[in-house]
Amino acid sequence: MLTNYIKIAWKVLLRHPFYTFITLFGISLTLTVLMVLTSFIDHIIGSHYPETNRDRSLYIEKMALRDSSRTSQNTGPMSFKFLTQYAKSLKTPEKVTITSFFRTSNAYAGSQKIKLNTKYTDAAFWEVMNFTFLEGKPYNDQNIRNGELVAVITDDFRRQYFSDLSEPVVGKDIEVESVHYKVIGVVKGSPPTRFFSYADIYFPYTVPKSNYEQDDIMGGYVAVILAKKASDRKAIQDEFQDKIRRIPLPGNRNGFKYAMLEVGCAPYLESVLSIFMEGGPQVKVIFYSVIAFLMLMLMGLPAINLVNVNVSRIMERSSEIGIRKAFGAPIRTLLMQFIVENIFITFIGGSIALLLTLITIYFINNSGWIAYADLTINLNVFLVSIGVCLIFGLLSGVAPALRMSKLSIVEALKS
Amino acid sequence: MIRHLFRLIWNKKKAHALLMVEIWASFLVLFGLGSMIVFNVSNYVEPLGFSYERVWAVDFNNNQDTTAMQDKVNTILQRLKAYPEVESVSRMSSNYPFSTNTMNNGVDYKKRHVMSHFYTTDADFAQTLDMPLVAGRWYGKGDLGGKYKPVVINRKTQEALFLDENPLGKVFGDFRVVGVIDNFKAKGEFMTNAPAVFEMIEAKNTWDKIYLVKTKPGTDAMFEAKLVKEMSTMLVGWNVEVNPLVDSRKNQHNLTLVPVIIFLIICFFLLINVALGLFGVLNLSIAKRRSEIGLRRAIGATARQVSWQFVAEIWVLATFSLLFGLLFAVQFPIMHVFDLASGVYIGAIALAVAIIYGLVTLCALFPSRQAATIHPAVALHEE
Repeated sequence: MLTNYIKIAWKVLLRHPFYTFITLFGISLTLTVLMVLTSFIDHIIGSHYPETNRDRSLYIEKMALRDSSRTSQNTGPMSFKFLTQYAKSLKTPEKVTITSFFRTSNAYAGSQKIKLNTKYTDAAFWEVMNFTFLEGKPYNDQNIRNGELVAVITDDFRRQYFSDLSEPVVGKDIEVESVHYKVIGVVKGSPPTRFFSYADIYFPYTVPKSNYEQDDIMGGYVAVILAKKASDRKAIQDEFQDKIRRIPLPGNRNGFKYAMLEVGCAPYLESVLSIFMEGGPQVKVIFYSVIAFLMLMLMGLPAINLVNVNVSRIMERSSEIGIRKAFGAPIRTLLMQFIVENIFITFIGGSIALLLTLITIYFINNSGWIAYADLTINLNVFLVSIGVCLIFGLLSGVAPALRMSKLSIVEALKS
Repeated sequence: MIRHLFRLIWNKKKAHALLMVEIWASFLVLFGLGSMIVFNVSNYVEPLGFSYERVWAVDFNNNQDTTAMQDKVNTILQRLKAYPEVESVSRMSSNYPFSTNTMNNGVDYKKRHVMSHFYTTDADFAQTLDMPLVAGRWYGKGDLGGKYKPVVINRKTQEALFLDENPLGKVFGDFRVVGVIDNFKAKGEFMTNAPAVFEMIEAKNTWDKIYLVKTKPGTDAMFEAKLVKEMSTMLVGWNVEVNPLVDSRKNQHNLTLVPVIIFLIICFFLLINVALGLFGVLNLSIAKRRSEIGLRRAIGATARQVSWQFVAEIWVLATFSLLFGLLFAVQFPIMHVFDLASGVYIGAIALAVAIIYGLVTLCALFPSRQAATIHPAVALHEE
């Protein structure tokens, strides 16, 4: 039966190439936009190189100090000292790493300028993040204690800084802002969209200019906590907040008297959202409703378009419907047939969209728009896409099918 | 004629409802796109107000070194000025041109309130960025030490605070106005020309350590490397970072342009989609009305009149949907959503309406031509 429906659908498709084109264009365009979008969101929030442990990690990225009347506040990353005292000392996690957040610098190779993102980290950073070492090894606690001037660089920076790529660069000297460092390892770089691991060059936190000795509670450092398993995260959050509650309040920081001290310790998505969105829940609601409205418009428009074309075209098939009805096909069977046909067509559109998405993703990955971009269609993205295909097919199939089922036999057979 | 068209559409209201929803939705998408474009274009056409081509922002960070800061801050200035490659140097706060930092403060004068961008700069700022003054002069060393701090304001602040009064010498808060400049769009061409106040940097200020260095033509990265090397040797433990303003400007532009371009591409495909769909639906509906067309032709309507009828029908349909869409769109200027000027929304509405009419006309043109070629004898014979 199903093969029959599909055969009919195929014949209908071939009958009017122009309308087939309109239908498939709409479906594949919409699904491509959706698939690229899901793939992009997955690139941003999914667990990918080098943050492959993201699903069992917690992120401490921001502290907020507020005065008692809540009129003014200081927000930002924390100091190395604060994180050592409150995050590094946690009992439940497997590993805790402290690393600096956004820092930029420049290096000069001859007359060429290289823009740099730098990171000062502890040794645990290399265990929390799963970097692939192309050469050498990471720095360890020993290197850090001795205050050695060593650095781990990315392959991208190696290509820019060293003219001769044939020989290994481990042990060679690089100069950043008049300080000479010895290259100890080379890693495959991380995309800039992964804030906690992205940099061009990584230093132990004991090198000059890292400000780790700063005697303050706020500073330029964040922490990533790696739990033994994902379900431990709740216990870690509780343990951390319990420690934070014991900080004496009110306090005074450089003349700013604060009565409230909040430190977030949350899974990746939550902490990233809190970096970009300030200003309370109201702003979030507006932001999300605008996004939702836009998405609805972008997806709804092609759907309405498709329904429109389908409704207009259903009359083409009135004689077929009339005959089937006259021979006793119940409305339910006819409805099923049209919905199956529509889902079939949607899946053809879906396959085209998959192809288009692969091409788009290939271009995004190779355009250099995001360095080290690794957008992929993985299982999650694919499943979401299939789900969207089904919804889309049902959405555009139900209305025309209902319209048709109301047709009386006499009307249908008249033509 | 119009009444007749209304009746025709009313008779088929169920079939037309979907078409109207489609046009309505396209209008809203176009309205969103239009707002973005009109907003950015109207900002872009305003002059920038300063020149940045040969200027570098050199950012110093003292890290853990806190000794003799005032001396060091002045030494840096003298040292930078001494380079033969350097034309002029000015020290300012971290919200330097094209940076991502902003500093906003409310200022009041005679119960008039305005939120203004605050820039802390020194006496050489106008010279370094080639900023012409409209009235008065830029502040100098002699202006410090009085009861009021000297400030230069831009035209937007002047208009908001002083209306038609002469602002020179006027006092607001603990500031006294010494000069007025025209525009200052610090975030680049796409920034709204916002009110700005330039405050003079005080001797005790050692925390603002951005130095704007205007280089002579032909200066390259070799000098940049030399500058960074000498500065970081002179100041042990300090960070020195050079950002040519040209690069920072590109970053600021990308922040604005990338979302607009993505949105534009998606909208373009959506519109093609809608256009094809409309075209298909109109084609089908005209094919269904052959007998009606045949009858009209038989009783003397010209081909032109017939094709005009179909175009006019789709116009009436579009007008209905647009009126419905306008109900939504006018909420934006009325409720001041996103703090944009009403003019932007009105411009966007006009743009969206024009595009919708253009689109439906284009889609109706071909099917209506087809309709006009129908021969009355053939059409009536089929019936």
